Amino acid sequence: MSKITDRYAIVGVGESERSKNSGVTPLHLALDAARAAISDAGLEAKDIDGFMSYNENDSCTSHQLATNLGVRPKYVKDILGGGSSTELLIADAISLIESGELNTVLIFRSMNGRSGSRVGGGWDPNMLQANIDGGSYIIPYGAASPGQWFGLFATRHMYETGITQEHLGHVCVSFYEHAQRNPKAFFHGRPLTMEDYLNTPHLSYPFTKHDFCLESDEANAIIVTSAEQAKDCKTKPVYIMGMSSRQCHPHSHYWSDLSQVASDYVAPEVYQSAGVKAEDIDVASIYDCFSWVVLRQLEAYGFAPRGEVGDFVAEGNLRIDGKLPTNTAGGMLSEGYTHGMNNVLEIVRQLRHQYGETDRQVKNCEIGICTGWAGPDIAGAMILRN
Amino acid sequence: MTYQKPIPLKNIDNAPYWDAADHHEMKLQKCNDCSNYNHPPGPGCSKCGSTNLSWKNFGSDVKGKVYSYIISYRPFLPGFQNDIPLVIAQVELDNAKDVRIIANIIDCEPDKVEIGKSVRMVWEDITDDRALPQWKINE
Ligand SMILES: [Zn+2]
Repeated sequence: MSKITDRYAIVGVGESERSKNSGVTPLHLALDAARAAISDAGLEAKDIDGFMSYNENDSCTSHQLATNLGVRPKYVKDILGGGSSTELLIADAISLIESGELNTVLIFRSMNGRSGSRVGGGWDPNMLQANIDGGSYIIPYGAASPGQWFGLFATRHMYETGITQEHLGHVCVSFYEHAQRNPKAFFHGRPLTMEDYLNTPHLSYPFTKHDFCLESDEANAIIVTSAEQAKDCKTKPVYIMGMSSRQCHPHSHYWSDLSQVASDYVAPEVYQSAGVKAEDIDVASIYDCFSWVVLRQLEAYGFAPRGEVGDFVAEGNLRIDGKLPTNTAGGMLSEGYTHGMNNVLEIVRQLRHQYGETDRQVKNCEIGICTGWAGPDIAGAMILRN
Repeated sequence: MTYQKPIPLKNIDNAPYWDAADHHEMKLQKCNDCSNYNHPPGPGCSKCGSTNLSWKNFGSDVKGKVYSYIISYRPFLPGFQNDIPLVIAQVELDNAKDVRIIANIIDCEPDKVEIGKSVRMVWEDITDDRALPQWKINE
């Protein structure tokens, strides 16, 4: 256990509408998500004194959001980043509350990820070469997409550990199955069978379009405060047992070494911080920008030994009644894509038992893990309990 | 017809590598203190932090084994529309095992690629004064 264990909580979560074309700016989406999270917590906007966000130069600022809520915040912070940023910012929020600077912090991610600035392309090759560390060694060869960079890790890892295309398919099929129970999921009403999956051509071997995350317009928000203040909130607090987030790889050009990822470093730290083990986890949100990234993290976080992760997913363990129900709203493969925050919202709702007696609720879940992955070099994770 | 694909941009750290490539040779940055190669190169050794770095010339006979690969069926950058399917491979060098270099495997059917396959470096003359290292399968 660490100094922060059970002393901070997520007390509110909220999201905007999710669409292919929001027709509004990220500020409008962020306001919808923030108001939903504030209402969920039973707070008023003026109770929030810190606002934080992550973005890729595709969003509004925390200050814009705060002022449009009629709040003059004590503290705002916007960082450049994708996956794992939620965990990084929660750690910052806790530090600021711990030091007495702030009381309650709202963290959001807002993006027109489909109709606006898309991760999938449209970049100037020379800009990419100049801005990506070691860009001259990849961009002239047509390798400009995370799907290609992570794909190099995937092909090697699959070769070494016996993971097959069908194992990737089990990740997709399990998450799409969750999405069929979630009317707000992007791929609700579009189920995926293993036969469909295996008949889908590769977009970038070893990945088909189903192995890639989707792109959506949406905003998500969460509210973090101390355990004492959480008692006054409307909803059941979800306590943070432990967390870890770091950028860590032996070379700044992470593709120079395909054998290790930052999750390998974060995993022991997050368990130590929370004082629990992998076998204590009841429900998971595992960052899923690509199906294979889930498999690599299942290995890193100790849910199955190296070499047995494929069997673990083939046995149906990611499904709602499996050993480790994972990304139960559909994840980024089939629910929505905000670089991970939608997966945080879902695990908070699961741990509150918000879905009650419906088929969406993971039965008797008490402890959950949420992981982030910005790439093989950046990982964040937190363990939560109800 | 001018070259449509991105040309490697030289900078203060990588210029010796790309200058050598223009002459159809391969040079790698090497740390004089810990003897490790540093690739991609930089101002400090990623193994020990030393700035005591030099460049070793491997000449034009560079061989290796496919360590990993992907095959793109869609161009992710302008200029690659006629190169689909595009094989992008990371190759472990026979003479410097800890160095792995990414390039395309050219003139190669996708189903001929596999991990462990033996390849050699070739250089494509892409402009009057620039050349791009590529991999080719050793038959
Ligand atoms: Zn050194």
